[in-house]
Amino acid sequence: MLLPDHQYVRVDSLKDCLKSLRENGERTHVVAGGTDVIFNMRLRLFQPDIALSIRRIAEIKQVEELADGGLRIGAGCRLVDLAENALINERYPAFADSIRAVASSHIRNIATLGGNICLKTRCWYTNNSEQWRQGVKECFKTDGDLCHVIKSSSLCHAINNADTPLPLIVLGAVLTLQREGESRDVPIADFYQKDGMDHTVLKADELVTHVTLPPCADRTVFLKIAARKGMDFSQAAIAARASGTGTKAGEVSLVLGSISMAPIVLHEPARLIAEQGITDAAIEQAEEKVRAELGELTSLYARAGYKAHLAKVLVRRALKALREM
Amino acid sequence: MAKHLISLTINGDTYEDLVVSDNQTLLDVIRGEVGLKGTKRGCTTGACGVCTVNDANGDAILSCMTHVLEWDGEAITTIEGLADTSDLDAIQKAFVHYGAVQCGSCTPGVIMSAKALLNTHPQPTEEQINEAMAGVLCRCTGHVKVKEAIRNAHRIEEVVSHAAGD
Repeated sequence: MLLPDHQYVRVDSLKDCLKSLRENGERTHVVAGGTDVIFNMRLRLFQPDIALSIRRIAEIKQVEELADGGLRIGAGCRLVDLAENALINERYPAFADSIRAVASSHIRNIATLGGNICLKTRCWYTNNSEQWRQGVKECFKTDGDLCHVIKSSSLCHAINNADTPLPLIVLGAVLTLQREGESRDVPIADFYQKDGMDHTVLKADELVTHVTLPPCADRTVFLKIAARKGMDFSQAAIAARASGTGTKAGEVSLVLGSISMAPIVLHEPARLIAEQGITDAAIEQAEEKVRAELGELTSLYARAGYKAHLAKVLVRRALKALREM
Repeated sequence: MAKHLISLTINGDTYEDLVVSDNQTLLDVIRGEVGLKGTKRGCTTGACGVCTVNDANGDAILSCMTHVLEWDGEAITTIEGLADTSDLDAIQKAFVHYGAVQCGSCTPGVIMSAKALLNTHPQPTEEQINEAMAGVLCRCTGHVKVKEAIRNAHRIEEVVSHAAGD
């Protein structure tokens, strides 16, 4: 099936990109690798007037070493290049694992980090063909005022399925968002919103240009559960970080993804482990604290009960993995 | 919709002044305008991999998931570009020898994915094969013979001549 009618615009510099976004941001969909955008355009779910290709902007395709031992990564870097980057693998192994967990090598050969960070939320009521969608009532994503997943909800409950943001959150990464003549830094932890429609704080005239990672000497881990390892979106994924060694852990953070409209930071289980250390008893207690932090779960892409189960299992596996490091 | 003139190098042949529109993918133009039908159209969702071609770096990419205008001035290789007039590529010989083909529908995508892997890893490990081939699906012969062919592509001449009793 052909893509819907639209205008393809390619920009070769950040300046031209930001100018184009200022002029036409509302009518534009940015295409970096395009692997998700083109799919959704073919479904007629995304119907922008303009597809703005940023694949050739050299300014956002660099990985720079920072004086403090951190890294500044261009959002236009291909996932394959980042997965093979020696500095990322050495300093941020969980982040590297999350990159390798995205889709298949074919997709990673063209998909970008910025694209994964900005990945639109997904829902099986809408990420389906136009003909299929004609059989269901319009919902928030298709200009209606209903969520099929939770009928009484005033919010869209589509799932945020991005993998790379999870380790970026535990690592304390900061995103640089640029609009013409202006730049702002937003911690990635504050970038996502619990709303399937308006899932990030990114404005229509802004572009995520860089990801800055502070140095990290702590243990980190990323784990993903999907129907098929080779190419699927996560059913649930976790990134975890702990200072110290063995069972000793001063600071702990745990972030779950792919079970809700935004990544979920697990405060209480992390606090408990930080206090008691990564012991079997503490892990058991932490598991019991997980469900209360997940909020309302939907049966989108996996049954709600199964997601609650996966969340506990991932917390347990992640903590045990950290303990072994 | 506006038409554009682009130049695209496919298998070493440069197609100047290809007339394309904004909403065409690379696959649409390879099969339609250029008429190279070896590259197949499958799921068009990024899941099956049968539309795989190699970019200028030799990486496997999905031609159905990218605007053709993105590739203006660039070079790609399709399945037709592997064999020269007299001889098949080593990976093609390996597929023939090991019977890694059944209905053949996925084969161009499978071979171009394997080719991309072999470009950088002539003797890939099991894990590297699984990783590289995860994005391309065969629904009839299964992946065992495909993996056997990839594993032995680097020494296929030897394997074939041994089998022939030379």
